[in-house]
Amino acid sequence: MSTGIMTPPGIQLPDGYVGGVWNLVKAKNPAEPEFHQAVQEVFDSLRPVLAKHPEFRAARILERIVEPERVLMFRVPWQDDQRNIHVNRGFRIEMNSAIGPYKGGLRFHASVTLGILKFLAFEQVFKNSLTTLPMGGGKGGSDFDPKGKSDEEVMRFCQSFMTELWRHIGADTDVPAGDIGVGGREIGFLFGQYKRLANKFTGVLTGKGLNWGGSLIRPEATGYGCVYFASEMLKTRKETFEGKVCLVSGSGNVSQYTVEKLFDLGAKPVTLSDSDGVIYDPDGIDREKLAWVIELKNSLRGRIREYADHFKKAIFMPTDVKLQHNPLWNIKADCAFPSATQNEITAKDAANLIKNGVKLVAEGANMPSTLEATRMFLDAGILYGPAKAANAGGVATSGLEMAQNSARLTWTREEVDDRLHKIMIAIHRNCFETAETYGTPGNLVNGANIAGFLKVANAMLDQGLV
Amino acid sequence: MLVLHAPELQLETERRFEGFENLMPFRVQDILLVSSLYDSFILREDGRLNELLIRESLELNLQQAPGITHVSTCAEAVELARSQPRFNLIVTNLSVGETDAAELAREIKSQGLDVPVVVLAYDYREIKDFVARNPVTDIDRIFLWQGNARMLIAIVKYIEDKRNALHDTRVAGVPVILLVEDNIRYYSSFLPVIYTELINQSRRVIREGLNAAHRLLRMRARPKILLSSTYDEASQLVETYRDYLFGVVSDVEFPREGELSLEAGFDLAHRVRSLVPDVPIVLQSSRTKFKARAQAEGFSFLRKRSPTLLRELRRLLTEKFGFGDFVFRMPDGSEVARAADLSTLEARVRSVPGESIAFHGQRNHFSHWLMARTEFALAQKLRPRRVSDFSSCEDLRCDLIGSIAEYRREQSGVLVGDFKADRFKAGDPFFLRIGDGSLGGKARGLAFVRHLLHTRRLSHRFLGVSVTVPSAVVLATDIFDRFISENNLLDFAISCSDDIELQQRFLAAPLPAPVQKDLTAFLSEVHHPLAVRSSSLLEDSQYRPFTGVYETFMLGNHQPEISTRLDRLMEAIKRVYASTFSQRAKAYLRVTPYRLEEEKMAVILQEVVGAHHSERFYPDFSGVVRSRNFYPVSPMRSEDGIAAVALGLGREVVGGGTCLRFCPRYPRNILQFSSVEDILANSQSEFWGLELDQREHPDDPVANLREVRFGLNAAERDGTLHRLGSTYSKDVHAIYDGLSRPGARIVSFAPILKQNVFPLAAILQELMKVGEDALGRAVEIEFAVRLPQGSETADFGFLQIRPLVRSAEGQEIPLDNVDPGRLVCQSSKVLGHGRIADLCDAVVVDWHRLDRSRSQEVAREVRYFNAKLSGERTPYLLIGAGRWGSEDPWLGIPVAWEDILGARVIIEAGFRDFRVTPSQGSHFFQNLMASQAGYFTVNPDVGEGFVDWQWLASEPAVEEQGCVRHLHFAAPLVVVMNGKTSAGMIFKPER
Repeated sequence: MSTGIMTPPGIQLPDGYVGGVWNLVKAKNPAEPEFHQAVQEVFDSLRPVLAKHPEFRAARILERIVEPERVLMFRVPWQDDQRNIHVNRGFRIEMNSAIGPYKGGLRFHASVTLGILKFLAFEQVFKNSLTTLPMGGGKGGSDFDPKGKSDEEVMRFCQSFMTELWRHIGADTDVPAGDIGVGGREIGFLFGQYKRLANKFTGVLTGKGLNWGGSLIRPEATGYGCVYFASEMLKTRKETFEGKVCLVSGSGNVSQYTVEKLFDLGAKPVTLSDSDGVIYDPDGIDREKLAWVIELKNSLRGRIREYADHFKKAIFMPTDVKLQHNPLWNIKADCAFPSATQNEITAKDAANLIKNGVKLVAEGANMPSTLEATRMFLDAGILYGPAKAANAGGVATSGLEMAQNSARLTWTREEVDDRLHKIMIAIHRNCFETAETYGTPGNLVNGANIAGFLKVANAMLDQGLV
Repeated sequence: MLVLHAPELQLETERRFEGFENLMPFRVQDILLVSSLYDSFILREDGRLNELLIRESLELNLQQAPGITHVSTCAEAVELARSQPRFNLIVTNLSVGETDAAELAREIKSQGLDVPVVVLAYDYREIKDFVARNPVTDIDRIFLWQGNARMLIAIVKYIEDKRNALHDTRVAGVPVILLVEDNIRYYSSFLPVIYTELINQSRRVIREGLNAAHRLLRMRARPKILLSSTYDEASQLVETYRDYLFGVVSDVEFPREGELSLEAGFDLAHRVRSLVPDVPIVLQSSRTKFKARAQAEGFSFLRKRSPTLLRELRRLLTEKFGFGDFVFRMPDGSEVARAADLSTLEARVRSVPGESIAFHGQRNHFSHWLMARTEFALAQKLRPRRVSDFSSCEDLRCDLIGSIAEYRREQSGVLVGDFKADRFKAGDPFFLRIGDGSLGGKARGLAFVRHLLHTRRLSHRFLGVSVTVPSAVVLATDIFDRFISENNLLDFAISCSDDIELQQRFLAAPLPAPVQKDLTAFLSEVHHPLAVRSSSLLEDSQYRPFTGVYETFMLGNHQPEISTRLDRLMEAIKRVYASTFSQRAKAYLRVTPYRLEEEKMAVILQEVVGAHHSERFYPDFSGVVRSRNFYPVSPMRSEDGIAAVALGLGREVVGGGTCLRFCPRYPRNILQFSSVEDILANSQSEFWGLELDQREHPDDPVANLREVRFGLNAAERDGTLHRLGSTYSKDVHAIYDGLSRPGARIVSFAPILKQNVFPLAAILQELMKVGEDALGRAVEIEFAVRLPQGSETADFGFLQIRPLVRSAEGQEIPLDNVDPGRLVCQSSKVLGHGRIADLCDAVVVDWHRLDRSRSQEVAREVRYFNAKLSGERTPYLLIGAGRWGSEDPWLGIPVAWEDILGARVIIEAGFRDFRVTPSQGSHFFQNLMASQAGYFTVNPDVGEGFVDWQWLASEPAVEEQGCVRHLHFAAPLVVVMNGKTSAGMIFKPER
């Protein structure tokens, strides 16, 4: 990530220290380019912090934070349905437990390597820290390829995987969750085997079934959270959602619940999209229309274009791959919620949004704005909620699942939603105040990067050299 | 007076013709047909071929027809030919099993056997490939099967004429017609037409004959046809037969002294004219510019590309034929009745006087007549029965009727019966024909399947499942001919370029009155929904995918008024007829070697497999299974095959719509269901069924003749989803088998594939095996299944079987010993099959300049080139580093399928420090399979092939964006993929 946009002028950069540690990381972790880049990005964003806090340098915080507390690598043998024997490699990167038990997903995918998991675990440390919940960072998984595997094969693999992993994890030690290749089915198989080996029913995994320890509001969390976060952003300018015209891209969970919450808060969401194109409903998407969309997308698994056939005032704009921009972002509106996919907002889209006077962009998807678009939003001075903060609702609900498991309680939807709301308020305050403290008021990108790091770094200082 | 017993009478009769035995000394006695069971079945065309052979041979020779013995391996053929000299003609396909025709011919010759070997091939391109690759000097001639049953007769006559011409001309001055044509396709069309006309001619002559001997002489003395393909051979023949030359039909352009001569035909014509001034000469060419010249020089001219070429050729000659009936006589010789076929024979046996039966019975006439019709089984059964064995004539009559009826009953289980309006009952399964023309390709395939199910005893192999071909009536091609000629539509239809006008004229024209009567009788019995399917001569029989070129309609056939149902049915039939001449069909035929005029349309009226569910009708599921999987993923192997199934009617399954693919050997390993996201993206969300309510669709007149789409909620209400469904839980992000939990419904087939509520995988494995056995090559089988509602059996409807690949040799494409310098790419991990030779464009992501962190931009650049090339409808080769379609931009270029839609072949190569594994199972991969694109995976560091990046980099780009370059070549890149071994190569363009 470029340094230009993040660093306020006039601050002396501790280039020697950062550069030195980064060179060390590359030397000690050869052939892990993903990890190198993740470290570089975090370091770049931390220059103002390091300039202001010589104690971090003295305590060698950077050198410590890039080194996993523990890396587990183990053999996972299993038999397929034809009784052929396979051996996969299992991993658990226990990256940082300064603020809570290791927490992070398990990924089952043929591309899984140590380097990729270290990169993901490193980012997870700061993501979890930002949620304000007591969760450390970790990541794990295997190069097991679930493609074309039968239920039985997946189960045998999960059982073998857990047969080694179980001794390293625990509700107060390390709490894995799902990720690519690990969904509800795999969490079930893993949990069953853990319970059998440990003889304990504890919240050792998140993403569990609703009737055996899972939490409500999981599908809603990211969308609701993003709107809560955006609402806090508006408050800093003494505004509310009342009457605001909002652009929402995508039509999956995040988009649906973003639209729902926006409508609840008095805004007027007017768009949705999928890979075929965009629908624009000038009358706004109300509760009834949203219910129709949810039925269409979730049960009938139809295409969003049907919205325009059903609701006559809406228009459908098919995707044109030759365009360098998406017409969705060229509709006049007050707020924009990119909730579909990575890099969906290009520089051209950003220019269109700014030209049309958009006041707020809050990212429900992961990294939906290109680097150039991000820079344009920051330069234009509009409210910009970066993904790592605005969509932290998903990660936060994992923390809430842990909390419920520890308390041996199951909260109602309202309780979970209420906690989520409070968490998002806290995340926003944290990012906003941190940005101000470090000389870039309103720059939530900086705020989020620094706030996430500070909480972990300070905890490490507090706990001595461990 | 000498009283002769029957056998002696026969001898005497034969002796009387003895003198004329001198003509046609070489006669094809028995044909050894070397082919797969399927091919031989197609040739025999459900029994009609025998009949044709008999009719025409009988009338030409007044002797027994050649028998056909079928063997399915070359070794058997050589053995039989050596041990039994009566086999004096071998007809074979290009390849049978492991051996090809060239090897067979070589083997026959090397054994010193004087048996001509003729090749009958199914595909013109296949022949070209074959001739290019093999020495064909031992093969007497190669013919192309074009759906004309007379081809085999023409082959027999051709071989006989070739061997007898010299003798017969010398002995009796028999005239000779010279046909000069080097194009296999054309002479394969012409010969049957010319022989048919000769036969008809002879038949007319025969009636005018004074007596039997005279008739025989006239018959044997028909002109002989000599076929030649080069100027040198033709002019030698002209020299030899100058005194007997009766006519010349010659191409203009053909080889002379080893090189193609543009005007050889004119030279030959002049030479003929100089030797025999008055002989008629017909020149033919696809170049119309020769027309004026030919006519100026006094030659007739035929334009080869003319859609009415054969008709014009036929204009020379006469048609019509009748055939040798069984004539019932009284002992005094007076005729009391006639029978043209077995069923009439049975009817007449009931009614003629007992004396007549005794008269014929004593003389073994029934057995003899049946023998001549090759109804050997019945003939042999009747032969030993003597009149003296029966106490009375009536007992004999009863026995005869019983024997014939039983025989016919047996046959009708397997063979195609004739539809009889007065006797039709819909109770038992039926497969009947209206008219006596060809059944067309598709119906012929169905008849074959019935035969197969019967002989392999598959119908009840699986407990609780009945495997059948759904009952059907076929309107044979002669009904089409009558419809076209009675309404005088041919010229209009061939020239009409407006489909709407075409349909209107066809719809306004009445079907022949007897057909209307038959259809009324049919509908008064059948109230089941009907599929009205095209079955053209060229469809399937040519292994060509005519699928989708002609129309198929679905009728609810549920209205109370028979007149309404009849109107709908006739409309659908006429629309299928019209589709023969649609712009789409014309365009399609233009790029094939076939002429519209040769195409004839039969129509199948077939009961739809399925059940009523309130206002809908559909099967529980439909599908297609292919016995080869060209995209196998471990542990599946190519030969384990692959099935695709979908709830409801199978409208989109064959074409690659959203459906469930699984390997029948590993039904629990569902590739497309590897993750929750994959399942949601790749599973069926709606299905096709017949809508039975009476909604009118004023904007679309055929809407009520077609299937309609329904949502899965309809299937859940109907109760059909329960045996195919799973549930997605959003809260847990997991899929649960069955419908017991709340959530979005998914068509997963889990109850069938995992919980075994129906033995689908086992049935498909068996059918693939039987199908491959019968066709001698990989097959594709379509089916539809109705699951039982209660305790009755399930219906497994076998809808179609066809060969999966064009050529068996395709699987043996030699991929060794190629100089790597000639290759752009080589890989041992290739998905796809066949040869692609029309790629002149490549889009290359430059390996050296690719920066993984910028893969999003690369995706955009690739999208740009795809849009550009797709817009021009230019297929291209896509070469990139890393995994295509990756969601993780670190692992490759994150394109969606739509972004590379125009690529025919895709290469993904490993990064310097990263190996690629194909993105199997993803939506991306499903699309790849459906579009049949080729997919090369290359990882040089572990010895998995290579890409010649250096060469690619040295080629100039037409356009360049970032690190993506568009290359265009003057000659195509040739792609060769072997789906069996997963090996593939891409050749650099020829300079």
